[in-house]
Amino acid sequence: MSLVNFTTREITCKIVYYGPGRSGKTTNLQYIYDQVPDDRRGRMVSLATQTDRTLFFDFLPLDLGSISGFTTKFQLYTVPGQVYYNATRKLVLQGADGVVFVADSQARQLDENIESLQNLHQNILEYGVDIRTVPMVLQWNKQDLPRDLILAPEELDDALNFRALPAYAADALHGNGVFETLKAISAEVLRKLSQGATGRQG
Amino acid sequence: MTTTVVEPWTKRPLTGYVAQSSARLVVVMTPAGQVLAQHGFARAVDLMGVAALGAAIIASSGALADLVGEATFGALFHAGQRHGIHLAACHMPRGSLVILTVFGRETSIGLVEFFFDEFAAALRAAAPADRERGPVLAENFEAELGQSLASLFGR
Repeated sequence: MSLVNFTTREITCKIVYYGPGRSGKTTNLQYIYDQVPDDRRGRMVSLATQTDRTLFFDFLPLDLGSISGFTTKFQLYTVPGQVYYNATRKLVLQGADGVVFVADSQARQLDENIESLQNLHQNILEYGVDIRTVPMVLQWNKQDLPRDLILAPEELDDALNFRALPAYAADALHGNGVFETLKAISAEVLRKLSQGATGRQG
Repeated sequence: MTTTVVEPWTKRPLTGYVAQSSARLVVVMTPAGQVLAQHGFARAVDLMGVAALGAAIIASSGALADLVGEATFGALFHAGQRHGIHLAACHMPRGSLVILTVFGRETSIGLVEFFFDEFAAALRAAAPADRERGPVLAENFEAELGQSLASLFGR
């Protein structure tokens, strides 16, 4: 739930990057961290295994500056993608204002993408939230891989995007599509706020 | 040392707790890691990282409690060479809050625990009933958002 302080005119929103293992969620945050000036971001926290697989979450706080007269801060989280970390994945989802689903475009990963998307729906539902009310954006990552290994954005749309959500082709390793994805989810989350959704306010 | 609050009703209980317990840093947050009030941090982005980790510890210990058949575990305490931390949930009318206290050698875990209980009671007494939230942002916020993100990414 977004936190809005009318006294100091601040908004804080939580955005979670979700998706199967090795789809590029941490890579998205790492690219954002590398691009953003020091004074507009905090330290990137990564709770990872010794082999750099996300164990609990990655976390990156961003200061977006002033929007409509409100100082706006975003908390970006990733979840661990591996199937057996569902308990921690669900904990990170708690209170999310928006979700970026990062899909791996490789054809052989399609089943993992579908399973992860179903898992997202299940975990959101277990918090008593209707997934259709949660701002969400899809990212088709790894589109830089050879054509014969990956599915085209249109094919991924057919397989995964049955709600016709905003979707972006990306190559997070080199930053392509990362900015567009963040911009889209930010707009979706703030649009929901501008429509007067209920939540915590100061 | 600075004390800042998102929700004004938290300020009096927080300043009282800091004065009595001699805590160096205190963060009052939601279980999702959203900061409601803080004492001792200079940079908001540093504070957000601490809050994310504190909320994660409480969430994971709560999940562990559930797995072993406990309703909940009590406060967590870690002692370091120069600092100790006390981390506990506080049950409120609008749902739980998580409170992280960092303290030094000028006080003790016993004092922090003692005054924490008073702090939690003061927060519960001060908490207002839930309110509906009206529209926050102007309808044309998207142009400003686009400019903010472009400047973040140097575009």
